[in-house]
Amino acid sequence: MRIVVCVKEVLDPDAVNNYALAGRLEIGEDGKSLTQTTIPRLMNGFDEQALEAALRLRDAGAEGRIGAVSVGPDAATILKHAAALGVDEIASVLMGEPSPDYHVVASLLAAYIRSSGDADLILCGRQASDDDQGVVPALICEALGMPLVTNARAIELAPAADEPTLRITRVTPDGDEVVEVPCPAVVTVSNELGEPRYPTAARKLAARRMKPEIITPEALALSPEALQPRVVAQRQFVPTVSGDCEFLPGETPAELADALIARLRQESVIS
Amino acid sequence: METKTVAVCMWSLGQGGLPVGTEEALTLGRKVASATGARLHLLVLGSLPDDCVETAGRFGVDDVDQIEDAALEAFSPDAYVEALAGYCQQESPALMIFSQAADTRVVAPRLAGRVGAGVVMNAVDVALGEGGGLQATASAYGGDTQMVYELSGAASYVVALSANALLPEPAEGGATQPGCRSIQVDLTGTNERIRVIEQARTEGPRLEDADIIVSGGRGLGGPENYKLIEQLAEALGGLAGASRPIVDEGWVDSSQQVGLTGKITRPALYLAAGISGASQHMAGCSAAKTIVAINKDPDAAIFRYASYGLVGDCLEILPELIRAARQ
Repeated sequence: MRIVVCVKEVLDPDAVNNYALAGRLEIGEDGKSLTQTTIPRLMNGFDEQALEAALRLRDAGAEGRIGAVSVGPDAATILKHAAALGVDEIASVLMGEPSPDYHVVASLLAAYIRSSGDADLILCGRQASDDDQGVVPALICEALGMPLVTNARAIELAPAADEPTLRITRVTPDGDEVVEVPCPAVVTVSNELGEPRYPTAARKLAARRMKPEIITPEALALSPEALQPRVVAQRQFVPTVSGDCEFLPGETPAELADALIARLRQESVIS
Repeated sequence: METKTVAVCMWSLGQGGLPVGTEEALTLGRKVASATGARLHLLVLGSLPDDCVETAGRFGVDDVDQIEDAALEAFSPDAYVEALAGYCQQESPALMIFSQAADTRVVAPRLAGRVGAGVVMNAVDVALGEGGGLQATASAYGGDTQMVYELSGAASYVVALSANALLPEPAEGGATQPGCRSIQVDLTGTNERIRVIEQARTEGPRLEDADIIVSGGRGLGGPENYKLIEQLAEALGGLAGASRPIVDEGWVDSSQQVGLTGKITRPALYLAAGISGASQHMAGCSAAKTIVAINKDPDAAIFRYASYGLVGDCLEILPELIRAARQ
């Protein structure tokens, strides 16, 4: 079984959140990029959990190779992190633009997977914490004609199946759902999967020597149509928040509580 | 860009009325159709809800289109994508609008991939840009920022409108009398590849439907204090929710998570205790009519969204609130 995990480098969403809340988020001259160099770059958290899901499958006895692939200008750091966690192959599809259109990204990922020996399972984070779009997994599944299972919290090989089949516990608004899907399939992983592992020091050292396979878009011989962007970011801005909070008076917790309950009853918010 | 048809897509799975968010999607559809001289269609997969045509008329829909097939009676992503792709082939809509929910988060981008359309999720608006083409505005970074995307380069687009992004507004010129059309799509070759082994079961009432929600976050200090949230929720006749950090810490089950990657709620009262107000969380509750925040830090972001604020330790204030609410 070959598992390919798609990973993306993002700006640390917590740092972005802190700057935004402090009203100090800076947007560059192009009107759309966040330019603060003090914001760390790291692997998208949901993608880290997708990697963890792949490693857990191997821990549970799934045989085969695990690869990690990223599309972007420079993915070496996050790919080495993936290597340190235990993946066997790392590949970087080079793109000049820092945030190419999702359609182009999905075309490149699908073409890479096809040209590198196909995959039985393609794992992705449920969405990237920068743009939150979460559409690349669906576009890959359509490009490769595979089924898509979203928001997995647990993935295992289904027992006693004739052909390789995955049993997946999905997070849904109505609670957990358990589904089975035959391989090959695209599966997205949600944060409910739980804490991803940390690389050991020895693994980190070994990973430093591992070089990602570099793939140019030209080498994937895609049609101009597949490389035609369809949704292009023009502008990014920080939306304004109303912010006219009335702070209720009170010297003690009891006074504060009484003031709130009285006000909510007065306004008929509660009975 | 020549725009002929804007279609709002929905399915109710025999639930009776129109799904939450349909009126908002129709409001956006009407706006884009008016701006581009397009006809507005409402596409229904499966059975037609009772009040569907009347509501469609109120929102200025020109045609109600329906695809009926046994394969669409229950939600099945493969059949739904196939039906929608068949519709796109026959009708060539310039824009397909979905109300964003768990199902549409799967179906909308798959449809885009299938028919070669561009796709934008988490949209809060679609409007004509300066160049005369359509632009979609969508939230990013959990709501910290918004991104404006230019929709050009594809013949058609799929947009999913965020829950709570706008208020429903019926058509200004009064109700229309939409025509009803039955659209035929051959779904006989569609085999659902995903087999459901255990269905999801909602246990008790859902946060999405709650009128009153009391949520707790890291400010509770530890999992043992979450019972204060549950007790206050009970005293107020509401449900208990949680922020993502304490779900990730394992204090409470993920079904109680409110936020961008959890439940999108719209209660009359949302009381947040010990929650800092990260945009990711606010995406799940900012549509509440009244937000109350309790936080030690008077500069906490949550107070920017709140109507009423209590500054103090939620562990001291919550027991007093439970007492006062029970009186």
